[in-house]
Amino acid sequence: MARPGLATRLYQGEANLNIVGRRKLWFTIAAALIAVSIGSFIIRGFELGIEFAGGTSFTVPVATAEGDLTQEEAEQAVERAVTSVDPEAEVHAAQQVGTGDSASYKVRASALTAAEAEEAKAALVQDLGVSADDVSDNQVSSAWGDAVTEKAILGLVIFLVLVVAYLIVRFEWRMAVAALASLMFDLLMTAGVYSLVGFEVTPSTVIGFLTILGYSLYDVVVVFDKVQENTRGITAGSTRTYAEATNLAVNQTLMRSLNTGLVALLPVGGLLFIGAGFLGAGTLKDLGLVLFVGMGFGVISSIVFAAPVLSALKDQEPKIKAHNARVLARRAQRSGDVAPRAERTRPANATESDEVGVLAGSSTPRPGARPTAKRNTSNRGGGAGNRPSGKRR
Amino acid sequence: MHPGRQLAVLGLVFVVLYLAVFFAGGAKGSFTDRLEPKLGLDLVGGTQATYIASQQGGVPTQEAMKTAQEIIESRVNALGVSEAEVVIQGNNTIVVSLAGEAEDQLKDLSQAANMRFRLLTGVTGDVAATAVNPPAPTPSASGAAPSASAPAAAPSASGAAPAATAKPSASTGGQGGGAPAPSGEPSPAASAPAAAPSEPAAAPAPLSADNKKLLADVEKKIGAKAWTAAEKLTAPVDLSTDTKAGLPFKEFSTLSGAEVNVLPAKMQYNVPTISCDQLNQRPNGAIDDPNAEVVACYSGAKVLLDKAEVIGDDIADATPQLDQTTGQWVVSLDFKSAGQSKWTELTRKAFNATSADPCYTAATQIGASQHCAVAVVLDKEVISAPEIQGVLSGQSQITGDFNAATAKELADKLKFGAIPVNFEAGPMETVSATLGIQQLEAGLLAAAIGLALVAIYSFFYYRLLGTVIFLSLGLSALLTFGALVFLGRTMGFTLTLAGIAGFIVSLGVAADSFVIYFERLKDEIHEGRTPRSAVPRAWQRARRTIISANMITILCAVVLYVVSIGAVQGFAFAMGLSVVLDLLVVFLFRHPIMTMFANTKAFMSPRVSGLGRVLRTQSEEPTSSRVKEA
Repeated sequence: MARPGLATRLYQGEANLNIVGRRKLWFTIAAALIAVSIGSFIIRGFELGIEFAGGTSFTVPVATAEGDLTQEEAEQAVERAVTSVDPEAEVHAAQQVGTGDSASYKVRASALTAAEAEEAKAALVQDLGVSADDVSDNQVSSAWGDAVTEKAILGLVIFLVLVVAYLIVRFEWRMAVAALASLMFDLLMTAGVYSLVGFEVTPSTVIGFLTILGYSLYDVVVVFDKVQENTRGITAGSTRTYAEATNLAVNQTLMRSLNTGLVALLPVGGLLFIGAGFLGAGTLKDLGLVLFVGMGFGVISSIVFAAPVLSALKDQEPKIKAHNARVLARRAQRSGDVAPRAERTRPANATESDEVGVLAGSSTPRPGARPTAKRNTSNRGGGAGNRPSGKRR
Repeated sequence: MHPGRQLAVLGLVFVVLYLAVFFAGGAKGSFTDRLEPKLGLDLVGGTQATYIASQQGGVPTQEAMKTAQEIIESRVNALGVSEAEVVIQGNNTIVVSLAGEAEDQLKDLSQAANMRFRLLTGVTGDVAATAVNPPAPTPSASGAAPSASAPAAAPSASGAAPAATAKPSASTGGQGGGAPAPSGEPSPAASAPAAAPSEPAAAPAPLSADNKKLLADVEKKIGAKAWTAAEKLTAPVDLSTDTKAGLPFKEFSTLSGAEVNVLPAKMQYNVPTISCDQLNQRPNGAIDDPNAEVVACYSGAKVLLDKAEVIGDDIADATPQLDQTTGQWVVSLDFKSAGQSKWTELTRKAFNATSADPCYTAATQIGASQHCAVAVVLDKEVISAPEIQGVLSGQSQITGDFNAATAKELADKLKFGAIPVNFEAGPMETVSATLGIQQLEAGLLAAAIGLALVAIYSFFYYRLLGTVIFLSLGLSALLTFGALVFLGRTMGFTLTLAGIAGFIVSLGVAADSFVIYFERLKDEIHEGRTPRSAVPRAWQRARRTIISANMITILCAVVLYVVSIGAVQGFAFAMGLSVVLDLLVVFLFRHPIMTMFANTKAFMSPRVSGLGRVLRTQSEEPTSSRVKEA
């Protein structure tokens, strides 16, 4: 029977990509990326926004000699003044304070030294043609209090503890560890991207970062759910090693993972597009960015990181170890009396390395391949086969 | 398995929610006004208040300013889930901005936070909820009759330090369940504290003219009969013997914080229908008067506190320390010389109390073992209530279940109590939105684009099933919107741009539960099942995955909401809300719709349902173009 194209097989959960089998490769890549991230934290640090680092706030009157300023004009004027003394400085949106004659605009800018602030103020006075008494500058503290950060971190820690407990109850401790490792990986990567590229960290970024938490675990849980189903009672049979069963689960949920990633990233993409494309800056861009990066990593890591970590952990379990050895021994024995398979024609879009079990002479079943036994022993969950399928209500 | 019934339930949820939106929670104005969610500071602007801080007449230290900022922040956060901004400007000014017209709320933020040490003389459970709605008199097995004086179970204090032993004030807001009722009820005869006998009609702080008038109004509101009954109470009403005992006082549960504040302390304490929530809503400074008995809340129970024998001004210093012998974190407390003698006196009274003293009974109810406890009150909050373990004439230590952070937190607060920062309220002004309507429109546009993209993709991939996704997302959006409007009015939940973005993101997560389900469905059909039998099977499987995965998100939201403050809390609330509503739609809408779908002819046709492609045929059209999009 001719094999359908990769896309179709992907669609049917039979792409047979050997993901778990290449554990070492993924771990090496992950370790390298983590090292780069941590290195970047140490060397480059983070670009903290005004809300975290504090800054300088300028007040300019609405009414000037040449008529009333608009919010935008005030903003631009302060920006000109501030960047003239410090080209790196950033300016926030202006805010009108009060109404009527006493109305003024308040514009927050990055932190400046007292001398720089004085200089910027002078430039501002000249630029707008107002009296120096009407313009004031003030150092402002961070608007995002330390208490908020502390409590958020506390919440994070409590959440992680609870989530591990939940996953241990729902799955098992190895899965909990693997899920947590994958989550940590996502957070490290996202933070690493921020640190490397020098994106500004604002309250929106922090909030987006916390959103990734739930999302990244969510993805992993879906994959592990399938893994659990596929490996239930695995030691009873001797057709598959644990890693192969995990790989099969990953392949079966691959389409779902990709779909999910796509469906979740579409709105975020829209957010980023609108935020960055139309407005140039601000909350939407900040949020869109951190979510896009974080969710992207979330999708990738649930496929190529969480499951390999899980299988690596499981392979250490004595019961599974013994089982794996038994499977391999049986295979070795069988391959002795099985004729090597003929070369198969393979679609052009699948490369040699995409596939497992194509080594001539090995009779390893391809993950996702139907066992050659009768139909109802199919391992694709839920067959009324001889595999104990657990209690389900 | 009654699709019709589930849809009916959903319809009911809808109707109730929108009735609430239009007619409940103080809805007013035209129909369009009633459909306005409360928008945040960044979108519509708000009110900004400036407070000039001073400390002993001079400029406060940096540290004091930071603590002051935190205190003001916690006061603002107590107003609800509104994302206020609190900034220190210059070296002595604190600027607070709140969304919308918030002048009333900003008015009493500037109260100085004072610290008081008060002997704990009574504890009674916060039973307002059951007092207002007593359980049915049938002896049901649920045992809902609360014991009137069961405080929340407090973890028993650890550490046998030679000093005050404290359970740290529950910073996590954890409230234990009701402990078994302690046997020793304070006998009414001993209702006066042992020392400093305040006569039964405890001299409350002299009321200002405004408050006198308010008190008269409250009396009218309550009604003469209930008022007289409340005045006659000498001890908290015991609901454990008569579950209906709280009913005569029902009116008290409708009082606002300011109204509760003018009642005599004894009445606040004794009337079972006055809840902790009401007590916490009293104006700032409500319990500052050191010469009056006051009522406060401590770990979910109402506590009666004696006059303040020692005040924050008496403290010289407080530091967190790691006790070398026990390896535990403690807070050490030093008093000024004048304060030291007062403190020694207070601890003597607490330490030597016998079981006949009301403070002894009270202390046992919060987990103390043999001595009275002294409550440390900052602002309106009991931050700690250590049991006094000796007559403390030198440096004192508060031990308890501290870690480095909580010990530091308590020490900071004690230190702050030592040098209170006073605020002078500066001008209050309206501020414009920082982002404004343009950003709001952009956010909504982004939401529309996101929804459109998800819809297009799901139509492309799942064909007719895409309609189910689309309809569900629309439903979720309507439910979310209704909830936002209603919660904005009742809880002060403000929608910021970040919140809008959060809801956009939840679109994707909501759509994902469909992906899980439909992929399952494909698998089932792949197995060779008919669509009709595949739907319920796939649903059962997918349900488990969806619940597990969403549990994580809900857990995340709940923890962050409970623990966090400020913007993070608002975000957690939005996230939790959208997930819960999403689950509601999944269970009450999608499932019944799919069940109905499965019985139609169209569903059987692969062309329409988008599931047919999994039925492997030889004439499978190559779909390699798909992979580029994916």
